[in-house]
Amino acid sequence: MNFSFLPTYLPYFNYGALVTIFVSLLVVFFGTILGVLLAFAQRSKFRLLVWLANIYVWIFRGTPMVVQIMISFAMMHINAPTFQLGVLGVDLSRLLPGIIILSMNSGAYVSETVRAGINAVPKGQIEAAYSLGIRPKNAMRYVVMPQAIKNILPALGNEFVTIIKDSSLLSTIGVMELWNGASTVATTTYIPLEPLLFAAFYYLIMTSILTLALKAFENRMGQGDKK
Amino acid sequence: MTETLIQIDNLHKYFGKNEVLKGIHLEIKKGEVVVIIGPSGSGKSTLLRSMNLLEEATSGKVIFEGVDITDPKNDLFAMREKMGMVFQQFNLFPNMTVLDNITLSPIKTKGIARSTAEKMAHELLEKVGLPDKANAYPQSLSGGQQQRIAIARGLAMEPDVLLFDEPTSALDPEMVGEVLSVMQDLAKSGMTMVIVTHEMGFAREVADRVIFMADGVVVEDGTPKQIFEETKEQRTKDFLGKVL
Repeated sequence: MNFSFLPTYLPYFNYGALVTIFVSLLVVFFGTILGVLLAFAQRSKFRLLVWLANIYVWIFRGTPMVVQIMISFAMMHINAPTFQLGVLGVDLSRLLPGIIILSMNSGAYVSETVRAGINAVPKGQIEAAYSLGIRPKNAMRYVVMPQAIKNILPALGNEFVTIIKDSSLLSTIGVMELWNGASTVATTTYIPLEPLLFAAFYYLIMTSILTLALKAFENRMGQGDKK
Repeated sequence: MTETLIQIDNLHKYFGKNEVLKGIHLEIKKGEVVVIIGPSGSGKSTLLRSMNLLEEATSGKVIFEGVDITDPKNDLFAMREKMGMVFQQFNLFPNMTVLDNITLSPIKTKGIARSTAEKMAHELLEKVGLPDKANAYPQSLSGGQQQRIAIARGLAMEPDVLLFDEPTSALDPEMVGEVLSVMQDLAKSGMTMVIVTHEMGFAREVADRVIFMADGVVVEDGTPKQIFEETKEQRTKDFLGKVL
């Protein structure tokens, strides 16, 4: 094993990891908002809205993410602002199409999660609320959503883990995140394997910490359930 | 005691091609305790759930306190405030304490001040024999306790009628008594109640009127004595022969 590149190139990995985390946080944030909106669109009374949301989800779940990223880049790169982000040294004209398309993709998956979470709330809960004269809006707000969120959060945490891993695909459009950094080190130093192993190790650390944090959070949330 | 509270006119209900209610006519008067009995699949739960439109009838009318609630122009939810319901599966809100379960609708729907609603909730908990459970979560309670809370929750809206959909069917046998005794107290207090149940002893003892349903129709409608002792209907006899 040849890890002689580390003293010189460690900053590449650290900056790469930082970009990966930064991108993932933004994508989780926007993806969740989009996913919730889509889920409500799918449950809407307006047929057109339901139809549009379903088509959206169908397209984004039915095509490869690399393809979506490349198309997004081809569509937006020329028009996107080209200045560099000072802190992370990332070209915004590459980062922006990447974040947008990952968020749009994530939204499609999150919408299914949200929908399933709402549907998993027993029908009797809504009936009980209605029987008390609680109107649909308040029934949703006070009875259904708090229970749905409890169903949704674990899956949303998994989505976060998925995004951290999938953000490596942004290397295809030249975003200098962790995977791109590792590849660059590999080609620059003529060490083909170890930089990639080191990047894999970094990803593993990030996803493991996140998974542990989510477990702890879930346990705290679940306290009301204990007898 | 002669004021009509709920009037059901020619109610039909289809589930797909299956007709579960075949033209029901029924009047519930203020202060009455009406028990609906019958074999499973007879449509008795569907009929009860039609009274507050949790089940939407295919045709026919449900008139509650003079308002046709099957007419979409009328405010169904405003009328539902006055019709409490107790479910077989209790359906307490698991994300809230017992106190919040009881006060949610009084506060959010009626706009009652929290302090007033909570004072009332404590009184109701006293009434159903669970004064120390205000801050418990539903999952920590037994089925019988949950069902008594559900009754208190229904009463908190100060309804004019309480509908009971097989309130003891999901309970362990040793817990049936505590729920029935709360219901009995309610009946004595003059509350109008419509109860779907398999508890024949309770029906006999507490009901003012017993309705026997089979195959989507009301077969018989009379006093407990008429139904349980003097029936001439073969279907009623067959049913009672099996359950008594």
